[in-house]
Amino acid sequence: MTEALVIVVPGLPILSGLLIQLAGTPRGADRINIAGAVATAAAALTLTAVALAHSATPEHGSWYVLDGATGAFVAVVAVVGLLSALVSPAYLAGAGRSFFRAARARSWYYLGFHLFWAALLALPLVDNLAVAWLLVEATTGASALLVAYSGRRAALEAGWKYLVLTTFGVTVALVGILILYVGLAPHGGLLSTLDWQNIAHGAGSLPPESALLAFLLIVGGLATKIGWAPVHNWLPDAHSEAPPPVSALLSAALLPTVVLIAWRVLETLGPALRDGVASGTFLAFGLVSLAIAVPFLWRPLAWKRLLAYSSLEHMGVLALGIGFATPLATAGVVLHVAGHALAKALGFYAAAPLLRHQPEAAERPARGLAGASPGTAAAVGVSLGSLSGLPPSPLFFSELLVLLGGIDAGEIVVTAIAATLLACGFLGLAHALIEGVVSDDRQRPWRRGRQVLAIERLTVVIGVGLIGLSATAYLLPGSTFVDRLMGGVG
Amino acid sequence: MSDAVIWSLVVSALLVVVVRRRSVAIVVVAAQSLILGAQAIADASGESTALLVAGAVLLAKGVVLPVLLIAVVTRTREASRIATERHPLARLTLALAVALGLAALVPRFGLTSAGAEHAAVGLVALGIATAIVRRPAIFQALGFLLAENGLYLAALAAPGGLPAFIELGLVFDLVVVISVAGAFSAKIHEELGTSDTSLLGGLRD
Repeated sequence: MTEALVIVVPGLPILSGLLIQLAGTPRGADRINIAGAVATAAAALTLTAVALAHSATPEHGSWYVLDGATGAFVAVVAVVGLLSALVSPAYLAGAGRSFFRAARARSWYYLGFHLFWAALLALPLVDNLAVAWLLVEATTGASALLVAYSGRRAALEAGWKYLVLTTFGVTVALVGILILYVGLAPHGGLLSTLDWQNIAHGAGSLPPESALLAFLLIVGGLATKIGWAPVHNWLPDAHSEAPPPVSALLSAALLPTVVLIAWRVLETLGPALRDGVASGTFLAFGLVSLAIAVPFLWRPLAWKRLLAYSSLEHMGVLALGIGFATPLATAGVVLHVAGHALAKALGFYAAAPLLRHQPEAAERPARGLAGASPGTAAAVGVSLGSLSGLPPSPLFFSELLVLLGGIDAGEIVVTAIAATLLACGFLGLAHALIEGVVSDDRQRPWRRGRQVLAIERLTVVIGVGLIGLSATAYLLPGSTFVDRLMGGVG
Repeated sequence: MSDAVIWSLVVSALLVVVVRRRSVAIVVVAAQSLILGAQAIADASGESTALLVAGAVLLAKGVVLPVLLIAVVTRTREASRIATERHPLARLTLALAVALGLAALVPRFGLTSAGAEHAAVGLVALGIATAIVRRPAIFQALGFLLAENGLYLAALAAPGGLPAFIELGLVFDLVVVISVAGAFSAKIHEELGTSDTSLLGGLRD
């Protein structure tokens, strides 16, 4: 039963993507997209329930692992994927020119979207580093053309940069995987040599230089895909140029899911390194990402570009929490992944009506939204307020947990620097929030059309979800779920 | 693996850094892939699965992908020489510095020969260097192929080789990435009238 469900979850979006190619009309394609997305999300959330039920005693299958982390990340990818699929028809209805020929543009979009979603759903499930690497690469193949979907010059640049930088980055990670494989199996091995549990068991016997080199290359290579600074150059461009539903999937699902793979590498290979090297690598990525992102949060950036730099900041927070590696910090990381996903996805969805009614917001900050469209202003407010860490946002609690985890780990200096940077980031986003929503720019009120109505409903749903996540902040620390989060790989 | 094979792989990668014409570079990379494929078939003699995998890799990298890239080049003729390209000697110097530096830095990690190890790391470095120093989009796709050939060389020199699943997965991945890169290359040419990627520099903060 579980094995079948594990196959169905990534299988359904692949099937949906292929079926959409047979649709005769745009409306037919939209319907198959929505039906497929609802079925996929239902299957994925059922699998999440199974994984969470197994969080105390993780289950291993022929190619998959079900532990707490699998459950949490599959849930995040499922929810963001479903929401993005639901808002895609409205985006496509208003999209103009495209990378693809007009007659096939919609079906190519859906094919890329569903293949991308399938790879993202499979990533937290796989029990093998090499297979995880192939899936990370598959996400690039499926999503690069989506980034450039509009076909505009800037979108081409963003898509090309994303393809080249992330492909070479993960090639570097593959060199590390090869070194790890040869070190684990000096007389020849099998695919299972790179299963998470086999890496954890065999890492102690690796030559120290090989273990260090493999770790640095794998994590450094994956960092390009995660968008950790200083190898983040593709991130602001791709997030700002992709269609809003794809930007949401990139930021809220892709980045944290690849963080999970890097985290699993830390859990399995890290103990073979000298004390502090593995966690220090994550802390360094975390601090550098925060330090690079925060000055941009103070600048008057276009809406989607601001959200992109906020992604860089939040991936930095995840790196810090993973690097601190205390139960409090781990609870903070889980909460942060979920809270960031909802808040960031809402922010990108709000970009659709915003860019339609205020096209200049593609180049400069949005202004006077409260007067023009209270619904869109509410979405922007909930998104930015949450992303800035304003209480009672779950990101306030998650950042607090990560910082407390840092103190618990004895990393006082790192925690102090991180707290200062987060405070600066909060001020930058709060300023953008005030300028964007309540500045006194006179804007003509927008018509409350399909996109605005959709964003109003999404704001209510996501707002309730964010409050619910805040409530779990009290339940997560000290729970078995957090204690055994990575139980499937150790 | 003989020294002649290893040197031919390295020299062909250096040629890609210096040659001007995209079609010549594609032929050079195809030849490099064929040399590696022939070596893989020679190593696999007597073992049917390994032979099948080696044949699939050779077909994909030595024939299918070069034909695809040649088709893209045919569709995207350059009206004139790409002015932003650095002098070949400067490109060669930079690429050699990156490749030699990395090959010297990376310690032995357990392949069957030190020469293959250095060459594998060097090819990956030359692939990345090609993408950095060359302007036409096709050369950046060729950079992927060079880097992947470096990884394939390492796989051939690994004790017992790599599992067939990984090798086939890598080839599938390469076919997808090169196809997407080809589509981008054609679209960039259509938009800019040239495939010079240095002209794509408008996104800055």
